[in-house]
Amino acid sequence: MNTVLSSTLAFGLPLFIIAIGGIFSERSGVTNLALEGFMGAGAFTGALFAVIIMSKTGWSSANVMWFAILFAALGGAIFSAIHAVLCVYLRADMVISGVVMNILSTALTAFLVTTINEKAFKIGATGKFHIGVAGKFTIPGISKIPFLGGLFTDIYYYELLIIVLAIIMYVLLYKTRYGLRLRACGEFPQAADSAGVNVYHIRFSAVLISGALSGIGGMCLAYYLITQFDANLFYLGYGYLSISALIFGSWKILPTLGACLLFSFVKYFALWFASLPGINLSSVVTSTVFQALPYIITLVALIFFSKSNASPGALGEIYDKGKR
Amino acid sequence: MAKSDTKGKRFLNAIIYPFTRNGARINFVKLSKNRTALAFLLPICAILLSFVLGSIILAIIGAQPGKAILSMFQGAGILAKSRYGGGQSQFSDFMMLLNNATPLVFASLAVSVALSAGMFNIGISGVMILSGFISSVLIGYSSLPHYVARPLVIIISAILGLLAGSLVGYLKFKFNINEVVQAIMFNYTFMYLSNYFIYRYFINPITRSSNIVSDEARLTLTDIQVGGVKIVIPLGFILLIVVAVLVYIFLTRTKDGFELRAVGLNARCAEYVGISVKKNIILAMALSGALAGLAGATYYLGATNTIKPEVLPSTGFDAIAVCLLGGSHPIGIFLSSLLISGMTTGGAYMQARVGVSTQVPSLIIGIMLTFAACTAFMRYYIQKVSLNIEDNLKKEGLL
Amino acid sequence: MEEKKNSEYIIEMKHITKRFPGIVANDDVSISVKKGEIYALLGENGAGKSTLMSMLFGLYEPDEGEIYIRGEKVKFKSPNDASALGIGMVHQHFKLVEPFTVAENVVLGMEGGMFVDLKTASQKITELSKQYGLEVNPNDKIKDLPVCIRQRVEIFKMLYRDAEILIFDEPTAVLTPQEIEMLLNILENLRKAGKTILLITHKLEEIKKVADRCAILRQGKLIDVVETKDVSTSDMASKMVGHTVLFNIDKKPIQIGKTVLSLKNVSYKKKGESVYRVKDVSFDVHEGEVFAIAGVSGNGQMEIADIISGIIKGATGNIILDGEEISTLTIDERIKKGISYVPEDRHAVALVLDESLENNIALKKMDTVQFLKGLFLKKSEISKYSDMIIDKYDVRSGQGRSTIVRSMSGGNQQKAIIGREIELDAKLLIFVQPTRGLDVGAIENIWKLILKERDRGKAVLLISLELDEIMNLADTVGVIYNGHIDKIAKRSDLDEMTIGAYMMGVKANG
Repeated sequence: MNTVLSSTLAFGLPLFIIAIGGIFSERSGVTNLALEGFMGAGAFTGALFAVIIMSKTGWSSANVMWFAILFAALGGAIFSAIHAVLCVYLRADMVISGVVMNILSTALTAFLVTTINEKAFKIGATGKFHIGVAGKFTIPGISKIPFLGGLFTDIYYYELLIIVLAIIMYVLLYKTRYGLRLRACGEFPQAADSAGVNVYHIRFSAVLISGALSGIGGMCLAYYLITQFDANLFYLGYGYLSISALIFGSWKILPTLGACLLFSFVKYFALWFASLPGINLSSVVTSTVFQALPYIITLVALIFFSKSNASPGALGEIYDKGKR
Repeated sequence: MAKSDTKGKRFLNAIIYPFTRNGARINFVKLSKNRTALAFLLPICAILLSFVLGSIILAIIGAQPGKAILSMFQGAGILAKSRYGGGQSQFSDFMMLLNNATPLVFASLAVSVALSAGMFNIGISGVMILSGFISSVLIGYSSLPHYVARPLVIIISAILGLLAGSLVGYLKFKFNINEVVQAIMFNYTFMYLSNYFIYRYFINPITRSSNIVSDEARLTLTDIQVGGVKIVIPLGFILLIVVAVLVYIFLTRTKDGFELRAVGLNARCAEYVGISVKKNIILAMALSGALAGLAGATYYLGATNTIKPEVLPSTGFDAIAVCLLGGSHPIGIFLSSLLISGMTTGGAYMQARVGVSTQVPSLIIGIMLTFAACTAFMRYYIQKVSLNIEDNLKKEGLL
Repeated sequence: MEEKKNSEYIIEMKHITKRFPGIVANDDVSISVKKGEIYALLGENGAGKSTLMSMLFGLYEPDEGEIYIRGEKVKFKSPNDASALGIGMVHQHFKLVEPFTVAENVVLGMEGGMFVDLKTASQKITELSKQYGLEVNPNDKIKDLPVCIRQRVEIFKMLYRDAEILIFDEPTAVLTPQEIEMLLNILENLRKAGKTILLITHKLEEIKKVADRCAILRQGKLIDVVETKDVSTSDMASKMVGHTVLFNIDKKPIQIGKTVLSLKNVSYKKKGESVYRVKDVSFDVHEGEVFAIAGVSGNGQMEIADIISGIIKGATGNIILDGEEISTLTIDERIKKGISYVPEDRHAVALVLDESLENNIALKKMDTVQFLKGLFLKKSEISKYSDMIIDKYDVRSGQGRSTIVRSMSGGNQQKAIIGREIELDAKLLIFVQPTRGLDVGAIENIWKLILKERDRGKAVLLISLELDEIMNLADTVGVIYNGHIDKIAKRSDLDEMTIGAYMMGVKANG
């Protein structure tokens, strides 16, 4: 059971930071289905620099992880700028743009990894960047508590980073001038505009934030799940899972944390459950059912809470300053 | 031009005029108002631009762009290869292309029909798995003879898709749940649930894929000998033509089709005229779902004969972009699907001939779709510039 | 160095002209407003009051003329420029973010630092509310607040920015009588605090109560500026309405038949609003009669048309068409029972802009046997029918019946709509603003068409904002004010001044 809880955090927190990115984008009014693609673009960039740094300096993968995360944020942000420009300035349909971003990201990262491996690193046309494992630690003492001890076992250092970032983002969204203006743009951009807020700038920056955060989350997931970046293995729909989580959490940060942890718990509980002696199912089999659960739960929640459909008022609407 | 100018001189002037500054401006304004022309030109611009960018990328990685792109189309059967292996010809390649493209065209039609009523259907992949799975289990693993199996596969897939689509339309209306959100939920729900059953009962441990379906149930005939060449015959393609024509006729020539499109164009006006918006949204999603179901049948019991678990077929998402590229018109959709399927199918040959990985065609497709997403802006920008020019021309008395 | 102008006039707008495509919104208008006064702008729709104030607020720039604030010439490129000089505007359609609190809305754009200090903001709001008598709780969410309190939040936004000049655009349009009293008191308090207030309105009684001076505009021109205490409401009404008859049209004497439409005690309140948009309305329309509803925009007349046609659901009362109660029928059923409707909004409601002319013309008859063969549309029949209407009603377009409607001119679009509706041969024809934006020739044509239907024995309900149109076409006139029809009389018993007065809320004994 210990492993279930520690895995819940190790998987759920990266999911959470990606979802926060989605929250920022959507609450500024830009529909964002491209979290999957941003995740991949960020993880690719981070993995690339991780591999370069490790080969040049020989530092351990755990130490290099911090650089990887930094570059992942940059890579995610730069890639997301395409979506930002398309949606905010070029009046593209936001749903289409999001889907296209995902397609582009998969194709682009797959191509780049193989090509860079072949041409730049000269190790042959393989599709993987090996980044190694991330560092983790266990808090002595508390971790021995039965049951809840799992929460304090095998904590990856990136989880701490994510918690700090999440707190910063929370304050940014709810307590600062920027956050207030961002939320106004997503509810009623005309009001923001008449109050002197530049809706275009705010929406653009919100999408970049979602790119950066998705990149960070994607990088952490790459470290945790597969210790490498491989475009064929990476895109498992976790970007869509975080969208599901933020919808379940009504576009609010704390409920979304709950949703992410819930979804993550369900996933690892299933794996653990299937591995119990006496249960004759392979872990893969059971886990698939449980993996459907997050989505079913969200759908049911939407049906039952349809009265309080809380999406941002102007979500998905292209803002045109000329129309008064 | 004076009346005394010779016919020849006037003719020359007429040819040169479009290239003069004024002639070009007038033609530009006329062109910008011609919606059908724009509907053709803008996607073609996107395609050309992406090939230009693709050529640059090919050059950077050391391949000859011309040769690479040529071999890609040769591999797809759109152009002829210089040499063919035993039992193969351009015809066999082309048949394979049709086989692969059929699901994509069905999926794109599904997107297009939903869009006609103003709805976004991004749940096609999930419906594909649903219909592919149930058809496989019920019919594909049975021993029914082909004249029963194949029609049943088609009917079951279409009905499943129709039900799924109606559910989405109904939920949207009753509970005001956005159809895009629903689609994400249903995609993964269908995928994981069917995966469970596949892993449990139908998995082939060697291929890590579901057991293959019987040839009797498969909508593609394989290994058919025709004049010294082995080809596949995609029956699904024939079905596609029939269905596409029916859908087109429905949308453009029947009253219900017209009402559906009216709801998509201007729901307020449709209501004012007495059309039921609710009924038409559900109808549109139901039809869209049925088409998605057929995409699933022609994909899992046609183009391939097995279901790979834990993978959402990219067809459902590519279809959105194909629809964008094809301008929601059946011919445009068909051509765009052929193009995109062609590029993916022909990638293997390109790799064999030029040594470029199959990832390059995918990348060029990704770039193409990104440019396609800009077409709305291109249209808007062209209108803006055109209005300016028109104003100036009017002031100068030329219009 | 020029001497600073006499600071008596805080605002001077000199020889302002503003043109929009096809219309001169302001024609050489000059007004001067003293510091600390309440200055009203009175006029009908299209008189130019909103346009004039929009320029003061920085939304537009004048084509000709100059604006002086506190003696200095100014050029506003955006509302931010105006705001910097202490000018604020309360719009008719509030710009408030519903899920936010009052404090958050007020502070948006003026947060005073990286972190939003709601505590200080709330304190300042509470102080201001005491100072001006504007009761508001800074922590309430806008979506929970009624309309009159929301308006106060809009006022707060201005006061928080230390606005000295406050422009109000039709502030009482959405308020109940009690709320109007409260607002007028607030305006008094603001004036006492030294603010200068500009009030755009068509409500005469309120002007009398609270304004010092009033500028009267008509069709873009300034007619007069009066001291409100020296004039009566009927004087102001007559100046505002004037004699603006474009031309007179010959009308046959009325020949009334049976009652076709009967409204009894119809009321309507939109969900979430506290004010009834339509209050206890009752009237009858007969065969061969043009019944016109006169009134200033926003008094409920558009809602009446939508209620009768079925687009607005949830109204109470009875709607009887040719003896049959229809308030439970669907829109489609009502069309089939014999109601034709030319709505106010050509583009958003009456037409599918991206469809062909012929499809738009045949729109309401697509499901009739005339155009249907089984499931299929008889395209040839549709073409024939639309050609007939195009010909009969002189609808001009680039490519005839296959023209995409979006590219047609407004006048021709309207002719197509009217042709479509008349050819439905319905018992009741509803026309809302049928000649909006059209030139004189087109107007005359449409008036003749309407009268022709009336002469054929149809019942015509005409809802118009143009007094001209009503005077020329109506047999019976009902004047609507604040959702209620205050006066119904034969057109021959009424003159423009009286109708105008009723439109402004002056009651029978005024």
